[in-house]
This record gives sequence, C-alpha cells and structure tokens, in this order.
Amino acid sequence: MRVVVAEDLFLLRDGLVRLLEAHGFEITEAVGTGPALHRALLTHRPDVAIVDVRLPPSFTDEGLQAALAARRKVPGLPVLVLSQYVEQLYARELLADQAGGVGYLLKDRVFNDDQFVEALRAVARGGTVMDPEVVSKLLVRRARDEPVARLSPREREVLALMAEGRSNSAIAQRLFVTEKAVSKHSTSIFAKLDLAPSDDDNRRVLAVLAYLNA
Amino acid sequence: MGFVVTIFSIVCVVVAWLKSRDRAGGSRSWRSRVNAMGWGLLLLPIAWIAMWLFGVNPATVGLLLLSGAVLVMAPVIAADLAAVLLILLGLYGLAAAFAVFKQGRAVAQTAKAVSVSVIPGPAFARGKEVFASAKGVVISGGQGIATAVPRPPRATFPPKGIPVPHPPKATFLQHAYAQKIANLHQMVVPWSGPGVRPSPWYAALTGAGPQGYVPVLLAAFVFLAFGLWLVPRTLLARGALVGRLTSRVQRLSETRTDAVDTAAAELRRVERDLHDGAQARLVALGMSLRAAERLFATSPGAALALVGEAREMSSRALTELRDLVRGIHPPVLADRGLGDAVRALALETPVATKLDIDLPGRLAEPVESAAYFAVAEVLANAAKHAQARMVEIHMLHTGDVLRIAVTDDGIGGADPAMGSGLRGVERRLGTFDGILAVNSPPGGPTIVVIEVPCALLSLKTSSS
Repeated sequence: MRVVVAEDLFLLRDGLVRLLEAHGFEITEAVGTGPALHRALLTHRPDVAIVDVRLPPSFTDEGLQAALAARRKVPGLPVLVLSQYVEQLYARELLADQAGGVGYLLKDRVFNDDQFVEALRAVARGGTVMDPEVVSKLLVRRARDEPVARLSPREREVLALMAEGRSNSAIAQRLFVTEKAVSKHSTSIFAKLDLAPSDDDNRRVLAVLAYLNA
Repeated sequence: MGFVVTIFSIVCVVVAWLKSRDRAGGSRSWRSRVNAMGWGLLLLPIAWIAMWLFGVNPATVGLLLLSGAVLVMAPVIAADLAAVLLILLGLYGLAAAFAVFKQGRAVAQTAKAVSVSVIPGPAFARGKEVFASAKGVVISGGQGIATAVPRPPRATFPPKGIPVPHPPKATFLQHAYAQKIANLHQMVVPWSGPGVRPSPWYAALTGAGPQGYVPVLLAAFVFLAFGLWLVPRTLLARGALVGRLTSRVQRLSETRTDAVDTAAAELRRVERDLHDGAQARLVALGMSLRAAERLFATSPGAALALVGEAREMSSRALTELRDLVRGIHPPVLADRGLGDAVRALALETPVATKLDIDLPGRLAEPVESAAYFAVAEVLANAAKHAQARMVEIHMLHTGDVLRIAVTDDGIGGADPAMGSGLRGVERRLGTFDGILAVNSPPGGPTIVVIEVPCALLSLKTSSS
C-alpha cells in the first residue's frame, strides 16, 4: 500500500515512516510543507496519505487545506489527518464532500500502532475514522429535534463507534454483543436516518456525517 | 520699509513651511502641510493690516516680529494668537467707531449752537492741505502720507463750552476726527511714543463726515466676527482637546494596569499548570522508563507493564498540554481567525447555536484573542448559568468596529458586577477600547454586546 506522509517535524516524520514501514506500507514520499504535499498528492495519487494539519510555510492549517484542495481535484482521495488537537469544525470540513476515505485523529493515537494502522487501512478502503475525542464531545451536546434524536441509546452507541471507524466485528467486541446484533442496529440506524440502501461503506459515512451534524 | 517687511514675511513663511513637514506627519503634499499650519498662517497678514492701520511704529513692528517668531517657533499657538489679534483689532475698531460717532454728534451740535466762535489754539485750519491741533497730529489730506509730530495730550478737543471760531466745516470735522483717532491711538498703544502715525486709511474713513463711523464700524465687525469665529476653532478646540487627552491618558493608564495585571496572572496560571501537570508527568515518565530499564534483565514482564504505563502517562501529559494551549491561544484561532474559531467554539458548546458571522478578513491577533475569549465566556455562562436552550451569535465588522451580539433564551439575571468572568472579559476588552454591554432582565433573555474598535486586516490568503 503506497503512502504519502506530510509532517514538518523531522523526528515525528521519521518515526511515522519507520512505523509504517514496519507494518509493510510503502512510503512513496515524505514531505514537510503544504505546497509539497499538494503536489505529492496529485502526482503520486497514493492509496492513502497521512497529513499533519499544521504545516509550513504559514504554520496554520496548511496541511488540511492542501488535503482538501487535492480531494476537490481527486474526489475520495484517502486522507488521514493528524493533529495535536481536534476540532469539530475541521472534522466537518473533511466530511463535507461525503466521499468517504477520510480520517481525523489526534497525534497521540500513533502510540497505539495496531489501532492506528487499522484506522489507516480503513481510510484507504474509503471508510471514515473520527477521533474518539471528536465523537465524545458530541455526546455532550443535547439531543435536539434532528434525525439522530430518533435513535435509541444503544443505536447511538453503535453509531459513535462507527464514527471512530470501527468495523461491525470490532463494535460487537466492544459492546459485548454478537456481530449480528450490531448489524441489526446499523440497519435500524440507516433506516432512521433515511439512508437509502446502498454500498454499506458509503452508508456508514453518511450516518457518521448525520451524527456529526447533529 | 515695505521691502524689509516683505522680505521678513517671506522668510518667516518659508521657514514655517519647511518646518511644517514634521507637523504634517512627514507628508509631502502641500495640502496636508497647509492644514498642519492651519489658521496660524493668518498671523502675518494680520500683522500687515495692523501696520497699515496704525502705521509703522515700534508697536506694529514688534507685532510683526512677534508674529513671524510665533509662526516659526511655536506654530501650535500661532492660530490662537491670530484669533486674539483679530478680536483686538475688532474691539479697537468698535471703540474708534464709537469715538467718531460721538465726536460727530458733538461737533454737529456745537456747530448748530455756536455760530461764531474762537479758535483756542494757533495754527488751526490752514486751508485744505493740513489739519492739526496745536500740539497734535498732522495728517496730509487724503493723500496717504502721514507725518509725525509730537504726541498730543489727552483728548481735549474740542473743549466744551469754549466758543470756537467757525472753520470750514469739512476741514473742521476732519481735524476733529483725526485728533480723536490720535487720542484713541494713544490709549490703545500708549507706549508708541512720538512715533504715532494714524494711518491714511483711518484718515480716509474718518474724513467722510459725521457718518464716518459707518465704514469703521463695518470693518470692526468683520474683524470681530472673524476673530470670534476662529475662537472655537483654535483656543476652545485646544481646550477641549486638552480635556479629551487628559481623560484619555487616565483611561489608558487604567487599562494598561489592567492589561499588565491580567498578563501577569495569566503567565502565573500557565506556569502553575505546566509545573503541576505536564512537567510532573514527564518526571514520572522518566522514572517509569528508568525502572523498566532496570527490570528488563530480571523480569521482562514487569518491565513491559511499566513501559505501557509510561505510554499512558505521555498521553495524559499531551492531553493536559493540549488543554493548556487551548486556554492560552486556541490553535483554530491561530489557523483560521476569529470567525472560524467562534464557529468551532459553537460546535463544542452543549447549547444549540445559530451563527451569523460576517468577517471577511483577519483582525489583529490580540483583538482576535480577546474577542474569542469574550465569546467563550458568554457562551459558557449561557450554558451553565442561564440554562439557555438556544444561543444566537451575530458577528459583524463595519466601520472599523467589530461588533458581536450574543443572545440567549435563558433565565437572565446576569450581572457583570457579580461574576468575575464577565468583569475579566470587560477588562481585557478595555485594553483595546472595547466595551461589553449586558442586558439581562430576570426571566431573560440575555443580550450581550461586545464592541471593539479595530481594523480589518487584508484577506487571509489561503494556501493551495
């Protein structure tokens, strides 16, 4: 699997490259600036890109902007955005095109390399992975008169885990239920959110989107 | 004489012009430099008029020198002096007109009552050419050339009740007015000594018969009106300016003290948070790793557990650092500016929010930060104290003022004087001359308006 890595701090970039190589990924290019990232994404069209939000030269959200710009040209280009902090605002912007293949994680999640690599693969497959912090903050907000309010507490739990990019089997494990039960819950979720039957991955993305917009 | 006056005036104006560049803020455009010199430019023309009216004597020459000096050395008070001089000229003219008027009536009555009279002094009325009192002033008739004679005594002419001969009427009147003017002169410019030379202009004005006071009066009114018109634009304006500056200085010292206190307290908080938080965790992390290092050889299992623990600890340190950074300067604020930072803030608030943000560019960073934390505080209050279910945020930048209105549907009763939160916000905004207005009747709704004067910086160029 070919990967482009964009991170301006040498130590972190080097660490990421080594971690990914240890897990059998092929590093196409490791870049350190926004413009370089934009170019690398469009020339290499990697299977997945790992992008730091803040990049030089402006040291603002240049990485995010470069990723979004590349995704406008290549819809669905899988991008996993890493950051020292997570903002729901940025999560929404990443999800807005509804094309899937996006992830948004805190940099600390790299510590747990198994989970991180799993998330990376999920994004490469076109899935959506949101940091638990993004998801948990949503739980703070009061449920309002929106489609998500129609979900049962259990269904909301399943949806939250879905937003974190977990597969049905992972959710089943986490909630101590059978995979079949999870599958039943997700069908019910899709129905309540008025998501027409289609490819399951896409529906998951849309469900997460509905959830985040709540 | 005229040549010297002209040269002097030109030199003064040129020097003042050269010096005006600093006062015009270094601007080279002649318009702004004339503006910087202002009404002070009138000073020299006034001195010329005075010289013309009163003739060339030590007083008027002194006035011209003074005017030139003030224009060059103290341009700030030149305009004030111009206003004062105009008023003095006007008052002088009023007095002169009054004297002429009174004299004209007295002479007319005398002329009516006494048909034959005797001249008390010698050398009166020598035809049309010269008219002068015995010890008084000599003025050539209407030709604009004045000659000096020894100063006259205080007004004694015409002595009332003493029969006077009947001179040719016009000559008599001209003589009387000239005498009066000379006396008036003596009152106005007592130190002028023997050099007093009433101007031909006055002679012409006063030579016009009993109605001679009219043109003098008109001239006086013009001077007076112009002088009075200048007063609010010069003297009073400066008084008001001084008042404004005084209160401004007071306010600035207050807000500066606040700003310094706030910054110091903030640094103290950051120091404490780092000391008790991330720093302590990093120490513990190092100790765990060291222990793991020792245990590796003997009990790898325990060492592994310690390393896992260390990783947990680094995660927690990161979380704490993240929260700390958010409290100092939220990253989204640095990345995107106030508009998106408030959008992000609204997304994190447990209360439903409705946003209307019109902010086409970035603001100065300190203002962005102050405004952001103000909105954060107001939102937190709405969620925590007001039990609001819906908050509306309107943000607009117009006419160099940032205006934010936050309205909630909560229970109201908020008072900035009660909680320290809003007061802190008020103080922080005060550093930028910003204000915080809270309208929160019991029962709600609460409306908080924040206004900060600030310029909109150029649109942020987004990288591609």
